[in-house]
Amino acid sequence: MNDKRHDRRDVELDRYFALARQAPPDISGVERNFETRVMARIREGREPWYAWAWRLAPFFLALTILLSGWSLSYSPVHPADPVTMLASGTQEVALLDNLTGE
Amino acid sequence: MAVPDEDADLVRAAIGGDDAAFTELVRRHKGTVLRSAARFARNPAELEDLGQETFLRIYRDLRSFRGDAPFGHWLSRITVHVCYDALRKRRREEKDISLEVLAAPVADPSAGNGPSAQLARMILDQAMSRLKPEDRLVITLFELEDRSVREVAELTGWSETRVKVRAFRARQALKRLIGGDDER
Repeated sequence: MNDKRHDRRDVELDRYFALARQAPPDISGVERNFETRVMARIREGREPWYAWAWRLAPFFLALTILLSGWSLSYSPVHPADPVTMLASGTQEVALLDNLTGE
Repeated sequence: MAVPDEDADLVRAAIGGDDAAFTELVRRHKGTVLRSAARFARNPAELEDLGQETFLRIYRDLRSFRGDAPFGHWLSRITVHVCYDALRKRRREEKDISLEVLAAPVADPSAGNGPSAQLARMILDQAMSRLKPEDRLVITLFELEDRSVREVAELTGWSETRVKVRAFRARQALKRLIGGDDER
C-alpha cells in the first residue's frame, strides 16, 4: 500500500520534471547585449586608483566654490574703540591707527 | 598550452589582454551559461547577477584554464559553482516560503499545453527552494538538465556516490513536498 503510494508519487514527480523540461527558462531579456555589460564590469574592476580622483573632482570643485564665496563675503569687524581693538587682538591695526592719528 | 577546441585562439588572445577576444567568448557562451543559471535564479535581475559573476570569475581565472578539456566544460563547471554559492547564500532567506502553490493541479503532460508546463516549473521551483543547496543543485542538473551522474560528478567535483545519495534524498524530499506531507 505504502509502496504503491510511493510509486504514484514517483510518477507524479517525473511528470513535473518532464513538464518543467518542456518549459525552458526565458533568458532572452538578459541575453540581449549581455557581453557589453560584462565587459563594462570587467573594465570597471580594472580602473586604476587615480580614476577615483576624477570621480571626486565635482566634490572638490564645489568645495572650492564654497570656500571662495565664504572668503569673499568674510569681512572682519574693525571697531573704532582702541581698547576693543586691542582686546580683540587687532593690536597692529590699533597701533597703526594711533600712529597715523586716525 | 593545448586547447583542443575552437575557442583556443580566443582564450589565448584574452589571456594576452585582448578584450575583443573575451567579448567574443562571452557572446559565444552566454546562452549556455544563462540557460543553466536560469534554473537557479528567482528573477531576471538575479539571472543577470549570476551570469555576470560567472563570466567575471572566468575572466579572473582564465590563466588557470589548462586546456586539456574543451573550454565549454570548464565554463559549465564555473557556472555550477557560482550557482551553488548563490544557493548557499540564499538558503536562510527562503525558509518561510508558503507551500500553498504546491496544491495546484498540474495538467496531464500528454495534453501538451503551455501553461501547465509553466505551472509545473513554478511548483518545482517552490518545492526545490526548500531543499538543501547540495540536493537542489544535484536534482536540477540531474532531472532538469538531463545530465548523467558522471557529468554531475564532474561539474560539482563530488564523487558519483555522493551525487547519487544527494539525488535520492532530493527526490524523497520533493515527493514529500509535492505530495503534501512535509515532515519538517
